[in-house]
Amino acid sequence: MLNKLLKHELKATARLLIPLYLILLFFTIMDRIVLHLDIFKGVLSLIPGLITIGYVLSIVAIVVVTAILMIMRFYKNLFTDEGYLMFTLPVKSYHHINSKLIVAILWTVVSIIAVIGSIFIVAATPENLKAFNEGLKMFWAELSGPSEDHRLTIFIELILMLFLSLINNILLIYLSIAIGQLLNGHKIIGAFASYIGITTVLQILATLLIFAASLIFKDIVEDVTFIRTTVFPVTILSLIILSVIYYFITDLIFKRKLNLE
Amino acid sequence: MNTILECKSLTKNFSNLTALSNVNLALERGRIIGLLGPNGSGKTTLIKLINGLLVPNSGEILIDGKQPGTETKKIVSYLPEKTYLPEWMRVSQAIEFFSDFYEDFDQKKAYEMLERLHLDSKKRLKTLSKGTKEKIQLILVMSRKADLYCLDEPIGGVDPAARDYILNTIISNYNENATVIISTHLIADIENILDEVVFIKDGLLTLHTSVDDIRTKEGKSVDTLFREVFRC
Repeated sequence: MLNKLLKHELKATARLLIPLYLILLFFTIMDRIVLHLDIFKGVLSLIPGLITIGYVLSIVAIVVVTAILMIMRFYKNLFTDEGYLMFTLPVKSYHHINSKLIVAILWTVVSIIAVIGSIFIVAATPENLKAFNEGLKMFWAELSGPSEDHRLTIFIELILMLFLSLINNILLIYLSIAIGQLLNGHKIIGAFASYIGITTVLQILATLLIFAASLIFKDIVEDVTFIRTTVFPVTILSLIILSVIYYFITDLIFKRKLNLE
Repeated sequence: MNTILECKSLTKNFSNLTALSNVNLALERGRIIGLLGPNGSGKTTLIKLINGLLVPNSGEILIDGKQPGTETKKIVSYLPEKTYLPEWMRVSQAIEFFSDFYEDFDQKKAYEMLERLHLDSKKRLKTLSKGTKEKIQLILVMSRKADLYCLDEPIGGVDPAARDYILNTIISNYNENATVIISTHLIADIENILDEVVFIKDGLLTLHTSVDDIRTKEGKSVDTLFREVFRC
């Protein structure tokens, strides 16, 4: 049944995002062409500017729509009138979380690739690429120290952290929305309040923990390998634990505390 | 098993209000049952409990012997009082949605009914009026071959002509194994198709009897009895 939920979730979201990707593609190609042509004189010189504005707007639209869609699909499809349809389907309640989460991750990744890819297409000149490479090298040097031995480990850790942060944040948004709907009015304000409340508490806890850790491991903190061996793994582990907690509480609310209007 | 729905001491509280209190009820298969009561009496709460949208505080609710869950959702066809189809969908997409998720959904039947009511399946739901959306939802719900139909205010928003067609649809679609629960306060309109009635008042089940009994023993129509019982 998850497959069917995924299929319909993809349909419901693709109809908004695919056109935006096509618009971005159009402006990317146009911008690439006009920025590297030097033929616009007089009034015509406005053309590259206008196309660039369109290009930037299409990037902004993709970022905004991807984020809002992730939130709105969960809220609107599950907790407004559409919830009556979704929660009476013969599917396990957690499959609703799974389908929404998988599709949200998918579109986030696609949008990131689309935007970064398009920036490369527009901006790629030999000089720019060279500068980019050097920036990347400096970044690695900072992270891994003089030795090159552990670059792969750090790379994997970084990717894992990015991916888990994305999942963690989506699940936290889902949990906040699920908590917000417990209220009999002001469900959206409730969702925002839960999100801010949970993140604030976590921030305070994290600050305290880091402070405590820095006192205990005073000497090691100076060493750059500490990031790879301890900071990243601890972050990864806490992201996993938090995500699992968010997921189960959300499903518990689905099962026991639905409060559709 | 001839009992399709069984409630045992079913109680549901909301923060400061008892929506259903100690309801005991057993419904047989093959009946059309009117769930009648004034606004706020607990009709919708009972229907939501049947469909697993609410969880009881105490007591038990069993559909075909099972607690509400994935298995019961396969055999219960539910029409809420809401327009619950996503607005961006075309009617044909809503039909596809139903046939994807419900094994007992009969696409052919749905298209036949659409045609009978002169509804265009290519239209998007957001372009349709509220009454038309209600008709489409009812068509979807009645195109399933379910064991239990829960219709919450199915005729409230539609015109009298369509009302007749809908009631006919309900009668002609229900088979001897299926039971239909219709919650409404438009009693006069549906009285003729009902086999049994359940009266709910302030969360309490006050009467469960057959319509024939009301007519022969009390010598009244359901509508008259309702007006007497729930006199304000």
